[in-house]
Amino acid sequence: MSPPASDSVIESVAELLAHALELEYASQAHYEQLADSMDVHHNAEVAALFRRLAMLSGEHAAAVAEHAGDLTLPRIPPWAFNWECPDAPEGADCLDPDVSYRMTTAEAIAVALHNERRGHAYYVHVAATATDAEARTLAAAMATEEVEHVALLEAMLTDAGGDQQRPAQDDLDPPHMPA
Amino acid sequence: MTAGDADSAVQRHKASIPSLKAKDYKSDVKPVWCPGCGHFGVLAALTKTLAHLALPPERVAVVSGIGCSSRLPAYLAVHGFHGVHGRALPLATGLKAARPELTVIAAGGDGDGFSIGGNHFLHACRRNQDLTYIVMDNEVYGMTKGQASPTTQPDWCRSKLTPHGTGIRRFQPAAIALAAGASFIARGFAGDPNGLTRLLAAAIEHPGFAFVQVLSPCRTFRPEQQAWKQQVHASELGPTHDTAQAAELIQRDDGLSLGLLYEQRIPLYAAGVAADAADDLTAAERLAAIEAEHCR
Repeated sequence: MSPPASDSVIESVAELLAHALELEYASQAHYEQLADSMDVHHNAEVAALFRRLAMLSGEHAAAVAEHAGDLTLPRIPPWAFNWECPDAPEGADCLDPDVSYRMTTAEAIAVALHNERRGHAYYVHVAATATDAEARTLAAAMATEEVEHVALLEAMLTDAGGDQQRPAQDDLDPPHMPA
Repeated sequence: MTAGDADSAVQRHKASIPSLKAKDYKSDVKPVWCPGCGHFGVLAALTKTLAHLALPPERVAVVSGIGCSSRLPAYLAVHGFHGVHGRALPLATGLKAARPELTVIAAGGDGDGFSIGGNHFLHACRRNQDLTYIVMDNEVYGMTKGQASPTTQPDWCRSKLTPHGTGIRRFQPAAIALAAGASFIARGFAGDPNGLTRLLAAAIEHPGFAFVQVLSPCRTFRPEQQAWKQQVHASELGPTHDTAQAAELIQRDDGLSLGLLYEQRIPLYAAGVAADAADDLTAAERLAAIEAEHCR
């Protein structure tokens, strides 16, 4: 797995912003990838949802970049970010077992919700552990924003009937394998 | 604030955010891989690597054979060539010989690279041309709906072609690469794109033939490979420059250890040096001369 970062504690606002920017870029890339995948597999409804989430992540990335202003952010190699998981929290997992070309809107929202909760947990962690007071304050504000994103997705999940099981449907392209 | 101060601020801002991002290396072609396929992790890692190394897209070429993983060049906004089955390495070899200034990456799967392309693999290893070879190993032919590949376990019986398993010992990519003379051998995991990025960056920067085996689960035909996420682990000895030590490490290896396994600096393949010295032709002119010679 990824080697542990040399220093697992955020020490400055610039370092936090570099992480936040990477997190949003990873999130945007992941949602775009999922949207493309759903497009290819003719799941237009879920593709549109992931496209919207990608757009929101792009907007968040732009907001972080704007916040950075003329601050010089450290150039951190991809493997040296201080994540608790292999990839950026909202970048999610390319091997996510819950992702399927037949996934429903509710299942897609559940995937996004999982990612946003990880993002929230990350900022809460930084707000508690950063050695720089300004970075702790900024991380706490970012955590609050993530709470809003989580709440929005939870409401969407309720609207989409999140508790409902996936309706039984034929797999039009099953793997042909012996039982 | 003066105009100069403003310019300076803009430059600092620009310097703070990399000019090339991973998405700049992605094409507009949408991957047809199954959602949840490990190859997405390899694509992500490769684009991050190219961005991290700040390689201009026009100076990079990715060449592949045939198979799910060999679709990779289409999804990248660099030079690409989707070749014929098993021939990624000959194509990459020729390209690098003709255009040595390019960063040339060959990519493909275990079936493409170790079966029909197996002989090319051996000779690319011993030739030590400055190439990077990424093999996305999912131990199955996925594109043709799930047949046993050279790296499939002998008792895997989930294919109609081999309902009782192949009964054949598995191809050992790292051991064979070492025996054939590869100067850089690493193993990564698609579920750890950032760790894989580190290996790919080292492979591309390595002067010589760099072989990176990537464990890339096939969720459709090998769903049990999802367990790799819990099973992979860091290589116990870390990178070694000692061939004998590497041989021992790789022989004891369970096939799930990750990291740079072996690296050695040896002379690069120098084909064309004599020809270069003998005339003043450019690579394109030499190629045209060769074509003229062989097309008479």
